[in-house]
Amino acid sequence: MWKQRSPGQSSFNDYNTFPLPQTQRVQPSYAHGPTFHTQQPLVTGTSVLGIKFDKGVMIAADNLASYGSLARFRDIQRLHPLGQHTLIGVAGDMSDYQWLQKELDALLREEDALALTDSHPSLSPKNIYQLLSNLFYARRSKMNPVWNAVLVGGWDKVKAESFLAYVDLLGTTYTAPTLATGFGAHLAQPLLREAYEAKAGIDGTGPLLTQEEAEKVLEDCMKVLFYRDARSINKFQIATITAEGSTISDSKSADTYWAFAEGLRGYGAQTQ
Amino acid sequence: MALYSNAPASYADHTSAPIEHRFNPYSDNGGSILAIAGKDFSVIAGDTRQSEGYNIQTRYARKVWQLTDKAVLATNGFAADGNNFVKRVKQRLEWYEHAHHKPMGLKSIARMIQTMLYAKRFFPYYVYNILGGIEEDGSGAVYSFDPVGSYEREACRAAGAAQSLIQPFLDNQIYFKNQTPETGSEPFIPGNLPLSTVLSLVVDSFTSATERHIEVGDGMEIYVVMNKGRTTDDLLDKKKLGPGMEVEELGALGEGGGERTFLVRAALKRD
Amino acid sequence: MELNGGSVVAMIGKDCVAIASDLRLGNQQVGIASNFDKVFPVNDKLYYGLPGLATDVYTLREHLRFRVNMYRMKEEREITPKTFTHLLSSTLYEKRFGPFFIEPVVAGLTTPTPLDPNPKPYISTMDTIGCITTPKDFAVAGTAADKLYGVAEGLWEPDLEPEDLFETISQTLLNAVDRDALSGWGAVVHIITHDKVITRTLRARMD
Repeated sequence: MWKQRSPGQSSFNDYNTFPLPQTQRVQPSYAHGPTFHTQQPLVTGTSVLGIKFDKGVMIAADNLASYGSLARFRDIQRLHPLGQHTLIGVAGDMSDYQWLQKELDALLREEDALALTDSHPSLSPKNIYQLLSNLFYARRSKMNPVWNAVLVGGWDKVKAESFLAYVDLLGTTYTAPTLATGFGAHLAQPLLREAYEAKAGIDGTGPLLTQEEAEKVLEDCMKVLFYRDARSINKFQIATITAEGSTISDSKSADTYWAFAEGLRGYGAQTQ
Repeated sequence: MALYSNAPASYADHTSAPIEHRFNPYSDNGGSILAIAGKDFSVIAGDTRQSEGYNIQTRYARKVWQLTDKAVLATNGFAADGNNFVKRVKQRLEWYEHAHHKPMGLKSIARMIQTMLYAKRFFPYYVYNILGGIEEDGSGAVYSFDPVGSYEREACRAAGAAQSLIQPFLDNQIYFKNQTPETGSEPFIPGNLPLSTVLSLVVDSFTSATERHIEVGDGMEIYVVMNKGRTTDDLLDKKKLGPGMEVEELGALGEGGGERTFLVRAALKRD
Repeated sequence: MELNGGSVVAMIGKDCVAIASDLRLGNQQVGIASNFDKVFPVNDKLYYGLPGLATDVYTLREHLRFRVNMYRMKEEREITPKTFTHLLSSTLYEKRFGPFFIEPVVAGLTTPTPLDPNPKPYISTMDTIGCITTPKDFAVAGTAADKLYGVAEGLWEPDLEPEDLFETISQTLLNAVDRDALSGWGAVVHIITHDKVITRTLRARMD
């Protein structure tokens, strides 16, 4: 009864590989109409996952930056710390991400400089999230989007609690104890919610996952994504943000199992 | 090209018709809101689910906002526009208070919202707004808006994904449509129902919408604005609230003119 | 569906069922007639409603009349609501790739037999190609379907007696079609009980 949104209306493609890669079509020289800032993503990163645990929050992303379906850059870090207690994980266009890094690092440098001479409070995760939300919404309103989906993880020193939030190219914002972008929203989010609610309950009042449990569930999710998301690779990092500050792990792989492939028939070169 | 008696369509497409790929700055984040006016109170409610397509983005996102001690605004549609619109409305209300040393009245807020929406007539906020609260004469009021600013004062209004499910139910139960009083008894007058009845209707509306609409659910927030001097017994009496419902009084935002705002939270099904 | 407009609703009560429809026939936004019945009897315990394309309403009604008469002659008994639902479903599926633009609703009571001494009141509905659902509460179809869902979900309760069921289904239909531009212009309600069928025509908004 309620109509399904057509994939063409979305910023995602039919298979929700985020975001929409598309080949540039040849424009005839006479077709110069009005200028549109509208870009399209070229080199893209896929899912980012986030989950809260008892002492903070974790964010995971793989190390791949794709060029369409080509696995172009296989050692890209998509987790970026912003000060002591905030960290972002970025999906979508990698050049927009690098521009964001540059802008935010410049801002934080300025803040650091102010803090040297004055009793200047440092930017909280919430402050940085607000700034990103305003930036993304302003840019979408100029029809010149920053083509990313960003998870912001952090530790709020004043409230002594973890922070996890999402913002994307439309300026859409939300928070939840578990978050996932792109393909991860389909494949990983249910697993993250299941693990979170198994302990915390549906109202989130119970105990949260421990650091070890949270890391385990994220690794499982990254494995599932590697199995089924064609734009992912089995090389990822997990960032952990606690009261002590943020750390980003070295790149690691999930143990994968391919023996079943021997039994598959109908694909490849087997004759029987 | 002579190789092909009929060139594949894709060949021709490359040159003659470039594929248009334009950034779509809008999205629909589902959910539903409603408001009902009483004689000396107003109820403004919304669910807390935020979704895009078949994905639930979060089970708790706010759609209903306390603006002043006597005004509450509910927004529904594209969440990013909604949040930023509310932010601008609050800013304008703050400026007004600095300029005039008093909070803006409800009907003035309504007119301001209309001009703010119409100001973006050619790149609209994709948001349906419902404003509820207490009018200057002490009566409960509801104003509803379309995305470009058309508005009117009403006794009740539903909007959002489940508008088509809820509004005819409210027509029947609030406006008494298709009902006639028994001969000799009092005529029905819309906007005079007791608070307990109104709250039951709000809860029933959302549980019904949750049952039949995939974009509605998770939880609801019901704001109740009461005129000064009005009794609060009918709300604060625990026995009169449904199971699992919790009430909290929201403190005065300004100096406090005596109007009181309460927030009732209740769970909805999560499937 | 949107060419001629129209809506049907059916509800289960205590040892009774009800089925009701509006009376509008339109040509898109233009109202043509206010006496277009969409609910038809099969026998005195079984009615069905056919909201959708008016020309298909006639075709399907006559086709079903023929099939039910053949059934009656061969079997020498009346068709049950469940059997009729499956007859209707397979009739629709025969036209899988060029369907009737109809979303039928069936409502009826099954006569008790030694094999089934306590049959429950029965309603069913299906899509244009005959996919059946048999709700335990109410079934809706037509251009005001979503409105009917909302009101029915709010008003209906289990085990309503015939007169209460009449009030519930009437209020549900009237308030739903009043918010639908393509339905309304009068309504008709049938309450089916084991000993009689009560049919009432309702006055409604004519705008």
